[in-house]
Amino acid sequence: MRSVWSFFASVKLAITLLIILAFASVVGTLIPQGQAPAFYAARYGSLAGVLAGLQLTGLYHSGWYLALLFFLALNTVVCTLSRLPGKWRRAFGPSVESEPAALAALRVRSRFGKNAPVEEVRKSFAAALVSHHYRVQSRAGEKRSHILAQKRRLGWLGSDIVHLGLLVVICGGIVSGLAGFRTHLELAEGQTAGVPRSSFEVRLDRFETEYYPQGMVKAWKSTVTVVEGGAAVLTRTIQVNRPLTYKGFTLYQTGYGLSWDRPTLEIAVRKKNDPGFVRTVRLGVGEKAAVDDADVTQISVTRFVPDFVIGDGSQVETRSEEPNNPSALVEGWRGPEKIFSGWIFANYPDFETMHSGTTTDLSFVLKSFHGSEFSVLEAARDPGADLIWTGCFLVTAGIFLAFYWPPREIRIVLDEGRERTEVTAGGLASKGREGFLAEFESLMNSLRRS
Amino acid sequence: MIETPLFTAVFVLYILAALSYLAILFTGQDRWGRIGLALATAGFVLHTAALLVRTFESGHAPFTNMYESLSFLSWAIVLAYILIDRRFRIPRIGAYLMLIVVGLVALASSPLMPKEAMPLVPALQSYWLWLHVSITLLGEAFFAVAFVTSILYLRADSDEKREKMDAVSYRSVAVGFPLFTLGGLIFGMVWAYKAWGAYWSWDPKEVWSLITWLVFALYLHTRIVMGWKGKRSAIIALVGFLAALFTYFGVNYLLAGLHSYA
Repeated sequence: MRSVWSFFASVKLAITLLIILAFASVVGTLIPQGQAPAFYAARYGSLAGVLAGLQLTGLYHSGWYLALLFFLALNTVVCTLSRLPGKWRRAFGPSVESEPAALAALRVRSRFGKNAPVEEVRKSFAAALVSHHYRVQSRAGEKRSHILAQKRRLGWLGSDIVHLGLLVVICGGIVSGLAGFRTHLELAEGQTAGVPRSSFEVRLDRFETEYYPQGMVKAWKSTVTVVEGGAAVLTRTIQVNRPLTYKGFTLYQTGYGLSWDRPTLEIAVRKKNDPGFVRTVRLGVGEKAAVDDADVTQISVTRFVPDFVIGDGSQVETRSEEPNNPSALVEGWRGPEKIFSGWIFANYPDFETMHSGTTTDLSFVLKSFHGSEFSVLEAARDPGADLIWTGCFLVTAGIFLAFYWPPREIRIVLDEGRERTEVTAGGLASKGREGFLAEFESLMNSLRRS
Repeated sequence: MIETPLFTAVFVLYILAALSYLAILFTGQDRWGRIGLALATAGFVLHTAALLVRTFESGHAPFTNMYESLSFLSWAIVLAYILIDRRFRIPRIGAYLMLIVVGLVALASSPLMPKEAMPLVPALQSYWLWLHVSITLLGEAFFAVAFVTSILYLRADSDEKREKMDAVSYRSVAVGFPLFTLGGLIFGMVWAYKAWGAYWSWDPKEVWSLITWLVFALYLHTRIVMGWKGKRSAIIALVGFLAALFTYFGVNYLLAGLHSYA
């Protein structure tokens, strides 16, 4: 037990772990993380199996990486705990009495005589140190008195506060990992979706994309209503960087998507023999629209794909959700009789694949197509976040204390000598020794003259 | 556009400052150091003006693309240098730092960097942009000072110079590390949480900031607890700055990720 403790109390272990952790982290940025197995097979060939075996494809969540973090945390706990009691005593409970010989051995020290009784010197020195913002304790004795003056005592504990903060951050990370939950919501205007593991639903009332004059996206604004038990609870507009929090869940705007489920299309009908003839109709998929012509009374659209491609089974598919090759399957009707059906392409207006029906001099052009925009939201509950912010605060405060709040300690022993009081003083500082030396000397000069 | 001529003037002043500092190395005359500092300070004042002009013209923080952030980083390095010089009076480091600054400004001015101010994408529209980027780059500027003093430590020919460079190096890390921790890691986490709902995503930029932080944590532990000073400290500080540089620069061009702005 003892040897385990001393193993983890070693700073050398901390240094080794920091180095290994740094190298491991580098590896994880060189290998793309969290991709599908096929990706690694294509990129690394036969090495893919090795990468997967060593968990290098999900390195930051792998058992060995987390074990490294765990050991570093344990190391931090043990190192901090084994040094803390001593430092705590140093800061908050040091003995007021000092040995003159020990003070005389310090680098920051002073010796002089004072023509006044010990008790008088003790009182005036204590008052002078208090006026220099020191916290002063003193012990009066028959022939010898002691003064202990301290300043910025918390500075002794700066690094311990940083370490405590880092442990709190790690705890926050564990809580986030175990109890955190996030889900993707894709909502079209008017749609409502339940947020899993919550008691409420979210309805998208309005979704708007704002653009800059240059055409870049300026903002996505989703006006959402939180619905709980069938009743609307609150309505708020959320944007990127302006999330909404309700009952532990936070709703984030992360982007938008285009849906081609119910697009609005515009189709122009022309006649090859009659260049002046043009009829434009607007319709959705599954709808019929009147053309009001003797040759073709109505047209309908039975399917739309944004990125037309002939798939492996020679059926029509879409390659992506991007409108790269938008095409519609159009049917033409003369009364109850279907006179043709075929695909038309927005990018290739002259290319028609008419299949059935009577020979016709009609032509169809897919003039425009509008998918419906939907809002992409993220709903997240992260019970670890508060711990993270607490830890971050401690880390910041601790770093500030460690670097810029150097503790000072001045010890003085007053001895009754022949006709005067012998003063032996010494100073201790963990950092900024040069500044302290100057402060100590000017203080001593003023004490000597007082 | 008054910014372009201002920026050109800044460039010229920084080059002249670098040449003056180099003159100390060759002539050994200290007055070149005073001239260099005056030129660098004049460049800094104009550079501040150029950044302000850009901020008012674009309506957003002057570090939203590579050109802007290179300009801001070089400004921060000059600021760090002026502050360090006020305290330690070491014109010698000016030569190397101003060469780095000239290199960064040259890179910013190169035709490879699109210079026009683009409107902000939704993710960048946040006051955390100011806090996160400015403080991080300021921290990295102090790492640059530590980098230069570490090189000078390794090349120094006397113990007196070595001791001074070691001290300045440590002081620079002592300023850079708190800034980098707060601005780079903590403010970055806060902003990521506000924008994406996840304070940490193991994105390459995040991981490389962590690596940089680990290297400087190593620097501090070996130095404060184990009493390493001098050569080994200098080497760790060198590695730390290179990691910071890769975080800033390499990640954008070599690794893909969420943090695709600058």
